[in-house]
Amino acid sequence: MASWRLITTWGATPEFNMGLDEALLSTAGLPPTLRFYSWKPDTLSLGYFQKLSDVPGAERAGALVRRITGGGAIHHVRELTFSITADLSVGPYAGELRESYARVHAAIARALRAHGVAASLRGVGGLQSDRDHTGMCFHHSTDLDLAWNGRKGVGSAQRRKGGRVLHHGSIKLGSSPLEGDIATLEQGARALTAQEFAPALRAAFEAELGVEFEAAVPEADERELARELGRRYVSQEFVRSR
Amino acid sequence: MRPDDRKYSPTHEWVKIDGETATVGITDFAVQELSNGNTSDLVYCDLPEVGRSVKAGQTFGEIESVKAVSDLNSPVSGEVVDVNHVIEEHLEVLAKDPWKEGWMVKFKLASKSTEGLMDAAQYEKFVAQAKH
Repeated sequence: MASWRLITTWGATPEFNMGLDEALLSTAGLPPTLRFYSWKPDTLSLGYFQKLSDVPGAERAGALVRRITGGGAIHHVRELTFSITADLSVGPYAGELRESYARVHAAIARALRAHGVAASLRGVGGLQSDRDHTGMCFHHSTDLDLAWNGRKGVGSAQRRKGGRVLHHGSIKLGSSPLEGDIATLEQGARALTAQEFAPALRAAFEAELGVEFEAAVPEADERELARELGRRYVSQEFVRSR
Repeated sequence: MRPDDRKYSPTHEWVKIDGETATVGITDFAVQELSNGNTSDLVYCDLPEVGRSVKAGQTFGEIESVKAVSDLNSPVSGEVVDVNHVIEEHLEVLAKDPWKEGWMVKFKLASKSTEGLMDAAQYEKFVAQAKH
């Protein structure tokens, strides 16, 4: 059984969260790593190519970052954020791009099921949570998105670079005023914190991906690189670059 | 069978060399991976400015679909002498014809080396393996 690292950092700064993900993406030869994290302060992240002016709620969000993954904006409030960094030859990422989403979403659906939420892929047709002109990830859906109660509850995006992948995911535990009428764990079952939901998600990834996790902390060189890379994510030059 | 007048990279770019000039684009496989047959799934494409020098294997641009942001890697070394800005605004052109109308960048070659690149037959096998 393949061994992956599991790095958990609750309440980390936006620059650390984004810097560490890029550090793990851009360092060749690192083992596959799953991260669970949350944000302090609450932060809105823009998709890599998004124009700031296309996200009307952004200026009300507090801290702002721009991700290097694509897709729409996410308000990182009352959610469990995860990232996976791995070689493209590894497990869920070997083969077709679409399949990688299906495999990772199967794991998330399993974790949600363990807490009484029946999530499934959207498939054909729209969702009640779809909205125009908000720029928010949860207001735009594709067939591979996980939904329950007719609304999107999990956001997902990837960056592929140098034979490696960074997969960002956001699982909504509760709602944010900037992401109205979406699916949340609280609405589907009961209120949980990210720390309380994490064990089910870890178990589901192990079962669905056939891997075992070894709890780890970032190595000193990874932390150093994360600090260095992280500065860009909160810089006005990068955040307001589009 | 894909065009046999060009070479292919493992990251699914193609390069067609004509004298000192190399035209670069991405393959139908790359387009299919990103868009799954839905032209509207391709969202953005950023291409370099004329005059930029790029080495083989380095990133010359980025493309986003609803599934992923991916780097565009240059199969050759050279200086950018022309850019197909049409596809930045009209990604459907790339989706429809990645081989001709959907070209991305022309380089003035710094080296004619095509080391590490595949011919069409080798790329066919490579793609067949990538699907599994």
